[in-house]
Amino acid sequence: MSTSTKYNDWIVKGFIISAIIWGLASMLVGVWIAFQLVYPELNFNLPYFSFGRLRPLHTNAAIFGFALSIIFATAYYMIQRLTKIRIWSDKLAGIHFVLYNLTIALAAITLPLGMNQSKEYAELEWPLDILIVIWFVIFIVNFFATIAFREEKQMYAAIWFYIASFVTVPLLFVVNNLAIPVGLTKSYSIYAGVYDANIQWWYGHNAVAFVLTTPFLGLMYYFFPKHINQPIYSHRLSIIHFWSLIFVYIWAGPHHLLYSPIPDWLQTTGMVFSIMLWMPSWGGMLNGFLTLTQAKEKIKTDAILKMMLVGITFYGMSTFEGPLLSIRTISSLGHNTDWIVGHVHSGTLGWVGMMSFAAIYYMVPRLWNTNLYSEKLANTHFWLATLGILLYIVSMWVSGITEGSMWRAVDEKGFLLYPNWVAITEVLKPFRFFRGVAGVLYFAGLVTLVYNVIKTIQTAGSGFQAVDLRVKEGASK
Amino acid sequence: MKIFDVPLTWFEKFASKWESDGVKFSVYTFIAILIGGLFELIPPFFLSQTVVPITTVQPFTPLELAGRDIYQKEGCNNCHTQMIRPFKWEVDRFDPQKAYGTDGYSKAGESQYEHPFLWGSKRTGPDLAHESQIQPSAQWHKDHLIDPRKISGPGSIMPAYPWLFEKDATLDAASIQNHMEGLMVVGVPYTKSDLDSVPTSIQGKTEGDALVAYLLRLGKDSAELSKSIK
Repeated sequence: MSTSTKYNDWIVKGFIISAIIWGLASMLVGVWIAFQLVYPELNFNLPYFSFGRLRPLHTNAAIFGFALSIIFATAYYMIQRLTKIRIWSDKLAGIHFVLYNLTIALAAITLPLGMNQSKEYAELEWPLDILIVIWFVIFIVNFFATIAFREEKQMYAAIWFYIASFVTVPLLFVVNNLAIPVGLTKSYSIYAGVYDANIQWWYGHNAVAFVLTTPFLGLMYYFFPKHINQPIYSHRLSIIHFWSLIFVYIWAGPHHLLYSPIPDWLQTTGMVFSIMLWMPSWGGMLNGFLTLTQAKEKIKTDAILKMMLVGITFYGMSTFEGPLLSIRTISSLGHNTDWIVGHVHSGTLGWVGMMSFAAIYYMVPRLWNTNLYSEKLANTHFWLATLGILLYIVSMWVSGITEGSMWRAVDEKGFLLYPNWVAITEVLKPFRFFRGVAGVLYFAGLVTLVYNVIKTIQTAGSGFQAVDLRVKEGASK
Repeated sequence: MKIFDVPLTWFEKFASKWESDGVKFSVYTFIAILIGGLFELIPPFFLSQTVVPITTVQPFTPLELAGRDIYQKEGCNNCHTQMIRPFKWEVDRFDPQKAYGTDGYSKAGESQYEHPFLWGSKRTGPDLAHESQIQPSAQWHKDHLIDPRKISGPGSIMPAYPWLFEKDATLDAASIQNHMEGLMVVGVPYTKSDLDSVPTSIQGKTEGDALVAYLLRLGKDSAELSKSIK
């Protein structure tokens, strides 16, 4: 089963470890700042630990530390196996790994120091942006060269979704980060006001699309059929939903700016395309679910399958909630509230997190040629994570809708019922407390993964044995 | 479902040709993602109605700009929006004095010189777009930044920022001039005399004073327009 001579697995192992480290860091900071919104003294009166500086650290470590590490790990793993050749350059892969982790480490230092561009998910200052462009170019050259020299002529669906991500992200990143430097740690966006807002949310929304969605659909298309040893349910569906998804997604950004001063036609365009996006998104979800029917008996016992099932379910849930929140009337209630925070986390903890954990549990035993230390512990992780996500989104639904309703509540004469802001904040405290508890549950799940992975790696080389998850002939339906 | 079957089969056949051609596939993917972006990002720059200028809106003074830098550094925009939506309940809350007449919501012209925009996306604390008309007292803002729970009540969850007002939290004239020169490159109409005025305008001020000056500028210019119409 050892393939280490044919493929470069070191790079995959490296990115799995960096995903685990940045995952721990981002989720720990997430839990910490969640409790800061209930107990403000948790910043310990230090500038570096105040919410405004740690929140960008949390989002950057989660998206660009954890999720991107998973994307690179799975991309290197999948592309070598689907093209049937070794990655084009081991050297470039190594440079990519070092520069990437250097960038994230520098981000973890500069953000608490208050060096940021104040653009959501694009907070890092210009020297780090340049570093990012360098390693991203190194990576894409390596990735596309591998595709160019491939031995397998057909490009399987998983590759499409990664390609979509790797051609789109550089464009989004460069256009939105254009800034005039006024010092090593400070710059101003070249765009102002309305134009800056429009470009920022074209970027921001499509960071969700092309960092947190398409690569993870690619992950699903590769690891899911491999794990259950069955083909994907519908090739036609994957073609239709791929092209419609990438075409429609890019238009949806202005739904972040409904009722703002950006032009009305732009808001309406964003809203209409967001609603249209529901169908291509559910195309991916359906293909996942229908593939799962080929191994449905194993769902009771297999942790990886459970994680994928819940991950795809949350993908379906949040891609329904997203179009819903993009409708003007619903946006008027939900915008700026905790509901949006809950929505984002149902996508990130539910979809991105669960699919990532499933991929880690799939790859680690194969890469280290051994078997998973404890399937039972992986099941515990599944339940901790699932309960954590559920508690998280329910508490944020309640908090967000309460908040939005209190903002707009008026008495019979038309006067505001809750003119005192702090009074509203006090009502939300219990829900925000339970959100923190939810974060602790999810984080505890990740800790079990770390322990499980360490114990697994300790038995490296003992021989991996695949479990056949196919539905047996004549088995009860 | 024959009606769907025909176009879907056609598209499947059409698209499947690219699946074995990496270059074609990547180029078509790039075109697919480019169309929406071009449609939404380019026209606003050329449509005269995108930003209707408000004549009274002027660039920030050096002290206010320094305050805005602090606002960005501390990440205030992670919890405070600066974008008031056109709803009665929202205008009533964030324009209690009716300083903007009947339309106390945010307008494009107000953020004409805002590099970057700071509208935010999360309103954990109240909106600040028109803060100058809601709480015009500099002393209140200073006290509140030093100890929010003493001023707004024990239920406030805002972090305290006492260090901004400490004696060593001074401002650096050269760096503010540098920042203004950078903003001039991207189109903010600062003049030579604005640059020369930096040392005197920040004389003896702390970072906290600058932040308060910035907060007291928010919404001031557009309120002046409303007053002049009356």
